[in-house]
Amino acid sequence: MTGKKRTPKVKQKKLKIQDLAKIRDKARAIMTIRDGEGRGRVTVHMGTCGIAAGAREIMDALLDQLSKSRVKDMIVTTSGCAGFCRREPMATVELKGQPPVKYIDLTPAKIRKIVEKHVLGGHIVAEFALAIGSETIY
Amino acid sequence: MKKYRTHLLVCAGTGCVSCNSFKIKEALEQEVQKRNLQNEVLVIATGCNGFCERGPILLVQPEGIFYQQLKVEDVPRLVEEHLLKGRPVKKLMYIPPSEKEPIPKMKDIEFFKHQRLIVLRNRGRIDPEKVEEYIAFDGYEAMAKALTKMTPEEIISEISASGLRGRGGAGFPTGKKWDVCRKEKKTPKYLICNGDEGDPGAFMDRSLLEADPHAVLEGMVIGAKAIGAEKGFIYIRHEYPLALQRMEIAILQAKEYGLLGKNILDTGFNFDIEVVQGAGAFVSGEETALIASVEGRIATPRQRPPYPAQKGYMGMPTVINNVETWGTVPNIIRRGAAWFAGLGTETSKGTKIFSLVGKINNTGLVEVPMGITLRDIVYGIGGGIPDGRKFKAVQIGGPSGGCLPSSKLDLPIDYESLTAAGSMMGSGGMIVMDEKTCMVDIAKYFLNFLRDESCGKCVSCREGTQRMWEIVKRITEGKGKQSDLALLEELATATMDASMCGLGQTAANPVLSTLRYFKREFEIHIKEKRCPAGVCLALIQYEVIPDRCTGCLACKTSCPQDAIRGTLKDVHLIDQEKCIKCGACYEACKFEAIETERDPAIRIVERAR
Amino acid sequence: MITFKMNNLDVTAEDGWTILDTARFFGLEIPTLCYNEGLTPWGGCRLCLVEIGEAPKTKLVTACTYPAQEGLVVHTDTKRVIKTRRMMIELMLSTAPMSKEIQDLASKFGVTQQRFEPRNEECVYCGLCIRMCDEQMDARAIGFQNRGFKRKIGTPFNIQSEECRLCGACMYICPACSARCGGPNADTDICNACLTMEPTCLDEYDELQCWMYDAGRCGTCVQEKGK
Repeated sequence: MTGKKRTPKVKQKKLKIQDLAKIRDKARAIMTIRDGEGRGRVTVHMGTCGIAAGAREIMDALLDQLSKSRVKDMIVTTSGCAGFCRREPMATVELKGQPPVKYIDLTPAKIRKIVEKHVLGGHIVAEFALAIGSETIY
Repeated sequence: MKKYRTHLLVCAGTGCVSCNSFKIKEALEQEVQKRNLQNEVLVIATGCNGFCERGPILLVQPEGIFYQQLKVEDVPRLVEEHLLKGRPVKKLMYIPPSEKEPIPKMKDIEFFKHQRLIVLRNRGRIDPEKVEEYIAFDGYEAMAKALTKMTPEEIISEISASGLRGRGGAGFPTGKKWDVCRKEKKTPKYLICNGDEGDPGAFMDRSLLEADPHAVLEGMVIGAKAIGAEKGFIYIRHEYPLALQRMEIAILQAKEYGLLGKNILDTGFNFDIEVVQGAGAFVSGEETALIASVEGRIATPRQRPPYPAQKGYMGMPTVINNVETWGTVPNIIRRGAAWFAGLGTETSKGTKIFSLVGKINNTGLVEVPMGITLRDIVYGIGGGIPDGRKFKAVQIGGPSGGCLPSSKLDLPIDYESLTAAGSMMGSGGMIVMDEKTCMVDIAKYFLNFLRDESCGKCVSCREGTQRMWEIVKRITEGKGKQSDLALLEELATATMDASMCGLGQTAANPVLSTLRYFKREFEIHIKEKRCPAGVCLALIQYEVIPDRCTGCLACKTSCPQDAIRGTLKDVHLIDQEKCIKCGACYEACKFEAIETERDPAIRIVERAR
Repeated sequence: MITFKMNNLDVTAEDGWTILDTARFFGLEIPTLCYNEGLTPWGGCRLCLVEIGEAPKTKLVTACTYPAQEGLVVHTDTKRVIKTRRMMIELMLSTAPMSKEIQDLASKFGVTQQRFEPRNEECVYCGLCIRMCDEQMDARAIGFQNRGFKRKIGTPFNIQSEECRLCGACMYICPACSARCGGPNADTDICNACLTMEPTCLDEYDELQCWMYDAGRCGTCVQEKGK
């Protein structure tokens, strides 16, 4: 059993109704992940080939950029090898209601640009893309 | 709150905790740290996920991948393969019995697919010890609405319109109960939450208290506004330490945030809640006995009327409702009575939580809309009977309920139809039985439970349950008389008619329902002195099947009574005079080769006369 | 003043009266064991059962604890009541067969068979001794121990009580030990020294409508019919 005794260190401010809504909205954006829902999803392909090619740095850069740009409603996930090992690191960006886009030959700088242009702006970055179409994400 | 890319939701309901899920959580945290993923991956302990058969359980969001039957040793590989390399581990996923391919996502698994989570909407997805997470999913929104935008009359009219009926067993319309109490002039008024849950096999209330305690608190504040109470009690049985602990934490947090106590949400409304521990009696789940227990007296029921809504705790108007009922209230206020009334049947609205246990593949907790058939629950959600056996009966409603046979599998679940069939909704326990269950033995089991738990006040209940148990026991020992069945029915009817409280009034149900549907089995026990299911010890014996015996001495070594004769490579023989039917030989033969099961060379037969 | 119907008669009760209080006031007989006028009603023996409500939604309640309510419909001797009452007596008899009071009740209400294993205990747990000690003698030296079939009556921790003043009130009021039956006939478990007569009018009607309050024991109505 956890058996942690909770003693409040800082006196919690008592909530008013407006505060309730604020906490909810703030927490909700972060908790949508629990429902597996969001505005969209970015999948960094991290098979052994991906990791060898530097997918970890891509992931770090991605998370950092999302955080900097205050993006809270995107799901970030990993998947196994996508099959096109020569062009790793790869990532797929899928916004709700739009077909998924596969990006190849990524660098940390490129993924940051993709966040700004595609995730935030909604415009596909054609020069980094390989293909537009469906793919099962598992 | 930091933003993570993956949340690992570890089930920490009592079932999984008893299988080491806290250790698994620790191992996950350590491994995540080791792999430097602590800024991306969050590990959370949630309440019961529901699929208790397959615990310990881990849910990985946002992919929704479901891992089951985890061991601490599995953790390093899981973290490396799934979180680092993005390859979910197939070997740890759920494979339906008699199939080969795993089903990775929770929402595709039969057990979860057909459920409709309303009261249990937060199960397995929030940390019950963090009130912010409850608020994230619209928590306390209904309470805010009730306290600022609704009058007491409006709240009660909304609850009445929804058709909510008490989920503790009796199914009394909740809105009506609240209205009676509101109209009483005496103050102070009180609110009580009945978390005594004594039915064997039932764990709905425990699950809710462990997974989502704030839902109950929110419901109670809304109820307090409706009837005009300033103090409430949550009565949780002593045997639920995790539920007690989580509820205490929830109350503390709610008070810190001004969601409970004085001047809630700055609206000027005051309501405080105290947790009271039960003292180990099934009868203290009866509402007047519970109130006596909260007052510090012995838990003995008293005559009603006057009802607790008129004269309850300390003689004051008191509304007492079940945990599940309180948990449903915020959902009704938030989404509207019409939405709730749209689910279920004409007379039984909404959803109900059932604990599906016994001889079933998918043991666990299910929430389904009223009106679903038994067949859908047993074969759809439950996945059918294990080991290829046949369905025999399902006991619904705990010891107060009755057994329903396979002819009733297409019965829709609602209060009236179950009562008409000789059973009862009760608190929602569902015990499934297969052909190897003896119905006479089942009647004996429940009568034993009831005679032990009777408070002892009424002659009809105290003596009635004892004498019924004696008769059924004699029948299981092969000493039944022809006149016993008529006597049982007469005694059962008298017990039902004459007893004062629900325990005695329903004590006859295990007997009457098994007699109604399984009379033949009773008659076989009495007339032919046989137990067709092979359960009643006095009527069976263990014997060795000569063609299958390899003479390995495994059974002989395991026998505590030294009742098996035989030498190596010779067929063994069980001495019936010495045998105490403990079954050790059967187990030893079945698992003779270590870790592989084989067809046993010992079987259970009806005793030679 | 509360008006309701008992055995099709209009009766009136004072506020706070129970069905039993009203019945006694109007001279209607309802058998009791654990009831005593000077003590609070307990409702444990289940002998004073009456059927309330209108068909098909009737139920049996104890008259000694159920409060009189406006418009209530009560019947004191229906078939269901009599059958259930007999079972209660049969159960108590099998617990304490040597009690004269219970033997008398058995004779009076037509309990002619003893189908349970006799336990030869001295106590039927009616609680009169406890309430006597508490309410009349103000000593509270004894109480119930355990619950269900393990129920016992005794002093705290079963040691000699300092509160007990040895007044003997508990023995005085006890129905099981206040008088001992002379002993049953060797062949039967139930004393047949008292006459047992079956209420005859139950064959004709669903309830006893005997205004002589003799529960059909005199047999006059049978003689009338056969005339």
